[in-house]
Amino acid sequence: MEKFKKVISQYPFLGFIIAYLVLLCVPTIFFTDLYQSHLSSLIFINIIVAAGLNIVKGYCGQVTVGHVGLYAVGSYTAGCMFMYLGSDLWMTLPAAIIVTGLFGIAFGIPSFRLEGPYLALATLGGGEAIRLFIENGEFFNSTYGISSISQPVIFGVPFDTPDKYYYISLPVMIIAVYFSYSILKSSIGRAFMSVREDPISAAASGIDIKKYKILAFILSAMFAGAAGAVYAHLPPGYIHPNNYTVIEMVTFLAMVVFGGLGHIWGGIIGAIIITIVYDLTRPLYEYQLFIFGLTIVLTILFMPKGIGGFIDKIFIDKRFKKKKVEEGK
Amino acid sequence: MLLKTENLMKAFGGLKAINKVDFELPAGEIRGIIGPNGSGKSTFFNLVSGVYDPDPGSYIEFDGHDITNEPPHKIGALGLSRTFQLLRLYQDMSVINNVMSGYHTRVKYKFFDAVIGRKKIWDQEKEIKDEMMELLSFVGLADYAELNASELSGGQRRLLVLARAIAMKPKLLMLDEPAAGLSPVNVDNLMKIIMQLKDKYGLTLIIIEHILKVVMDTCNTVTVLDHGQKIAEGTPSQVKDDNAVIEAYLGKKMNDEEMRKALAV
Repeated sequence: MEKFKKVISQYPFLGFIIAYLVLLCVPTIFFTDLYQSHLSSLIFINIIVAAGLNIVKGYCGQVTVGHVGLYAVGSYTAGCMFMYLGSDLWMTLPAAIIVTGLFGIAFGIPSFRLEGPYLALATLGGGEAIRLFIENGEFFNSTYGISSISQPVIFGVPFDTPDKYYYISLPVMIIAVYFSYSILKSSIGRAFMSVREDPISAAASGIDIKKYKILAFILSAMFAGAAGAVYAHLPPGYIHPNNYTVIEMVTFLAMVVFGGLGHIWGGIIGAIIITIVYDLTRPLYEYQLFIFGLTIVLTILFMPKGIGGFIDKIFIDKRFKKKKVEEGK
Repeated sequence: MLLKTENLMKAFGGLKAINKVDFELPAGEIRGIIGPNGSGKSTFFNLVSGVYDPDPGSYIEFDGHDITNEPPHKIGALGLSRTFQLLRLYQDMSVINNVMSGYHTRVKYKFFDAVIGRKKIWDQEKEIKDEMMELLSFVGLADYAELNASELSGGQRRLLVLARAIAMKPKLLMLDEPAAGLSPVNVDNLMKIIMQLKDKYGLTLIIIEHILKVVMDTCNTVTVLDHGQKIAEGTPSQVKDDNAVIEAYLGKKMNDEEMRKALAV
């Protein structure tokens, strides 16, 4: 076990490959109907968004409430490319990532001067503006939405049903999470955290604050773009401006806050739990938003670092106490 | 000269916080800066480290580079490190991460290596961590490495800030009241650690301190500021007997006639 741990810490991607292989087997063993596959794909998409949001909000500490706008940009880049050029996922995914990354710059620039609630307002405006622009744009099919976006075909096999699409969204998710892991575990992640904690002393340590703020926005936008493209192609391939409202944003925020702001797995834990809970509580539709809002408030009050931070804290305290006891002897 | 300022000026509205200060610091020296509250000591630090932009006409040179209007992170990258009077710790980060983020300018790997997560990243990260753990055990915080910085005591925080400033292996370390709020025993301990670190890393030091014992015992040269102006400079014993310094700290000695005049008004 010790040896295994050591190898993983030297080659973290091995861990991700193991996770990938395990998840590959899950549908054949556990899933009984298509809906479970569909839900899993949704979870994967939400994980990608939440992992990105964790970079900018959890690590870099920039309060952005317009992330859903970037998600919409990703989706509509994919949707429009399909509608006008007939491109499939292999073309639209990289394009969506690049385009959304560019939009991320636009979202990041206000963060140079604005902080906290003011930045939240600016990004909220940005996100809503994107949605309204899409809703009113003929080019984007306005309120009709874009429908029957194609699913990818590999070696002549179309991945056009939820159970098959699972195998498309899974690798994208694994790669995205791997990128977020290696970014956040490296010096870049530490630079993000120090910008969050204290910009002035971060600058004194030689960290370029503006560069890292904009980098956080671009990176997280790219994650949102990738998620958006995968969502656009999700069977039955239908996107509508109403999928990108502030309500969705609150759900994304709930994921990151609940899972653990600034915890490396925070967004992922949160995305899994919230997506499943969201689905199970569908009959209680009217109360859902209330519950999510309450979840955010209660988590921040009683578990400010979310589930991830809470669990970490238990282990760290245990190790610290153990060390102290050993020294005592 | 490692650090040189010429005609350094900074005004906040009508208040001249720093007024035409010429300052020269050769490498290897321990320089003390003293002065009453509001005399411009911290402003001087903020100007040199780039937190404030100096007024036109000022000139600051560090290690042969003109850093007058450079942003703070570039000055930091040149090897000028500083601590803050109010510590400015990363409260919500673990102790080891606090120190490792001070290492930032020395990280060798490229951005894309980190994104892709190549093996050399993890090797280097491990090296950095080992080196920083060594530094932490040197200042006596190794046991607390995983705890949040906010869980440390006041004295430990001062040590952590010091370790974070050292982590970048600076040429010049500027300490803004490193011993403020410490008990006499802790002050001695801290100064001992600072001196050891100075020898270990070959640092040049500037220390702002109100505890005169610290300044008089450790510094080679002392600069005295008052109302933004340099009023004295010299060895600790010279400065101690300087009339201008005594006046700034204790007030002016008056003769009988002056006293009468002052009281009459």
